[in-house]
Order: sequence, then structure tokens, then C-alpha cells
Amino acid sequence: MVNIIKEQKGNSITVRMVGSVEESVEFEQLIGPVTGELVVNCKEIPRINSVGVKGWIKYFQVLQQKGVKLKFVECSTAIVEQINLISNFVCGGTVESIYVPFSCMGCKGEFIGLFKTDDLRKLKFQVPELKCSKCGGKAVFDDIPEEYFGFLER
Amino acid sequence: MPGDAQFAAQAAAASGLALRTVKRASDAVKIVAVEEGCVLLVDASTQAHYMEFERAVQETLGLFSSRLSANHIHYLSSGDIYEVPYLIQSPLFGNYIHRNFELDPNVGTYFGRILGATLEDRAFGCERMVKPGTKVQTIQLRMALQKQEAVEAVRNYLVALKFQSRMATVIANAVDEILMNAIFDAPVDSMGKHLYESTSRATNFALEGPRAVDLHVAFDGEYVALTAVDLFGSLDKNKLLTAISKIYTEQEYRVRSSVAGAGIGLASVFHSGGSFFFASESGVRTEVTVFFKRCDSYREFKSQFRFLSTQFYF
Repeated sequence: MVNIIKEQKGNSITVRMVGSVEESVEFEQLIGPVTGELVVNCKEIPRINSVGVKGWIKYFQVLQQKGVKLKFVECSTAIVEQINLISNFVCGGTVESIYVPFSCMGCKGEFIGLFKTDDLRKLKFQVPELKCSKCGGKAVFDDIPEEYFGFLER
Repeated sequence: MPGDAQFAAQAAAASGLALRTVKRASDAVKIVAVEEGCVLLVDASTQAHYMEFERAVQETLGLFSSRLSANHIHYLSSGDIYEVPYLIQSPLFGNYIHRNFELDPNVGTYFGRILGATLEDRAFGCERMVKPGTKVQTIQLRMALQKQEAVEAVRNYLVALKFQSRMATVIANAVDEILMNAIFDAPVDSMGKHLYESTSRATNFALEGPRAVDLHVAFDGEYVALTAVDLFGSLDKNKLLTAISKIYTEQEYRVRSSVAGAGIGLASVFHSGGSFFFASESGVRTEVTVFFKRCDSYREFKSQFRFLSTQFYF
């Protein structure tokens, strides 16, 4: 079940999706007609199942064919995994920023940090260590770099 | 290959089998020809290795001999599942083991329990594939849309068991996929036609009588096993293997409107670190079990040892 928070600025619409993307999600009904630019904020999509992926691609492919400029921002780890697994998941759009997972070496806590994809490219995917917000310990990137950042090299 | 001998020794000990190691595929097949109850672990690192084995079977027993069931052949490979099409397309395919023993030196013992299950007349029930004494919980789904509640319940249970939140979400997604298959893909009519092939996965209907679907959940302190059970026994081995070994990192995923399913669920589960055990008796029952290890980090979780086992009974 997904809720949409929508904001229009001129010819650009920003939608923030909140919830898991699965079989009940009707993108056309939720987002409505789009022309110009669509910015999709994916921060609050914790999970997407296979039928959700199918519906997602079906919807965004139509927008792509209509010439809508697609931008994906603040992509959650679940969305980044799909971007990596399926070459046409963003349907010709651009991925502006993603959440990167970290794990604390001390308290084992997990958290995420937001990075612009341009910055990640400049860093050559060497994500800096962060300070754990819970215990102050050292937090390191917690995934396989060549897999998590693989889409940036396509 | 390094690690194979230890893995095989542990697996044999845990399953109660005597281990014999031979260098040539033809020697192994000769043993199978005369001895009962053999299980083969075959080094299938390259297509040439596999072809040597297939030739030996062809020459000694024949590819479809009753002396050798594909259910009892386990191929060890360092390549990922999409890199070994020669195994996936083989008439002798039964089980695939991704050779990744570094992170867990006792992984052979874990796999030995899986191996032990395959020695039974029917490998149904996940309780024999987890540590002895592990409690198995059952969720009975009585309506199709109860799937989401079951998925959320599993996720919350895993978080309570101290699985990282991201791991719990990935495992919950795996449950979503195996339940969706049991609810919508398994039901067939008497002619084998799929009843809900083009039915929206958002449709609600009763799961009664032969349409009943159960979910079993077992956590043995190390591995969690989750099994979706249906009573149709309609799993198609070729379709299954094609779907699970397909990747879309290079080629585009094409949306098929003629079917309601997406055809990518199981592959993504396997890619995310899950292992699969499929047991299906034609017209009777299918059980699809997915296994995940609880790891300290997501990196380790994603890199964990994996296998794909198929047990078909006709």
C-alpha cells in the first residue's frame, strides 16, 4: 500500500511515495496525468515485490514514451537494489541521489546516509566512514560496493 | 577445488552417508551403477567438467536410467546460477551448490541436513532441514489478500529475532514471492491449465480445500527456513529453472500483459542471498522453502552460502 504526496511547481511535479510497492498499487490513479518533469522521491519505499516492479516499469515506460523527464531522488536501499537488478528499472530517467547503508562496528546498529550519485562517482564508490548516531562508534558501508553501486557504472 | 573435501565430509557426516571421493566422473557413475542409495556431489566448475559427467552417465547408465535420479545429483560450482546454463538446461539437473564456503567453515553440516532430507521418500517438511528440536510455526492463509499480513508478521518476527531491519525486509519479500506463487501460480484445473494466470494479484478469494496455502516458519538460532505449501503439485521444473536463472542487468525486462505475474520474484530472492529447496509431487503437493542465515552484517548476508535444490516426484 502506497500513499502519494504530490507537489507541483510549474511544469515539474514531485511525488513522494510512502509505503511498500506491491500488487495493490495503481500508479496511474495515484499520480495522475504528468507532462514535463516528474521527480519521484523514493525515500519512504521500504519494500517492492516483483508485481510492484512490473507495475512500476509499466507505468514509467509509458511516461518515458510520452517524453516526460524522469528523475529519481533519495532512493531507498530497496529501490537501489532494483535499479541494480533490472537495467530498465528507471525507464530512461536519472538517479539523482540514493541512500547508502551503514553498519556500526561498535553497537552493530544500522543506518543510512544520503549521497548524490555525482558525488559517489567522484568518490569512486569509496564511501567515507560515518559516526554512529547511537553510540558514536565507527560506521562502515554495509553492502558489496560493486553490487550496490553497480548501476553507476552502466 | 579448495574447501570441497571439507564441505563434502561435513555434509556426509550430517546426513549419515559414507563419503567416497573419486577423481573421474566415470568412476563415480560406476559406483552408482552397482550400489543403492548413492548421492553425487559433482564438481561442475566448467562446462567441460559437466560434460565429462554427462558422458559418463550416458555411456554407463543412460541419461534417463532409474538407477540415477536427478534429485540425488548436486553440482558444485563457483559460478553464479546465471553463469551455468549448461547445468540449468541439463536433463540431469537436480541441485546446484554455489561454492562459497569461506564465510562459514561449518556450512557443510548445515547442508548435510538438506542432503538428509533428499534421502527421504518425500522431502516434505522444513523441520528436518533445520537443527533438531527447532519449533516450526504455521500460518494458515484462508484468503488471498491475507498474504500481506503474513509478510508483515514474518518481518516483525525476524526483527524480534534480531535480524537487521534490512535483512528482515529482504526475507519478508521472499515470503511475499513464495506465497504469491502458491496462491496464484500453483492452482491448476484437471487438465493442468493455470487457473489464475491472468488474474490480478490484488484479487481476493478464499483459499479453501485444495486451494489452501500454509506458511511454515522455523528459526534454529542460525538459519531461518520459510516454506509455502500448496496442494496442487503443479510446479514446472523447466519454467522454474528458466525464471530463477534469468537476470536483467544487461538485457531489458519486458512487461508481459498476458500474464499477471512478473516472473522475476524468485530470481531476485536468490540474488539477495536466499537458498531454495523445491519439493513437488505431481498433482499432490508443492513445498517451496527459502533459507537465510542471520548474519552480523548485510554484506555477509548477501554473500552467504547458497544452494538451489529441486526434488520432483512423479
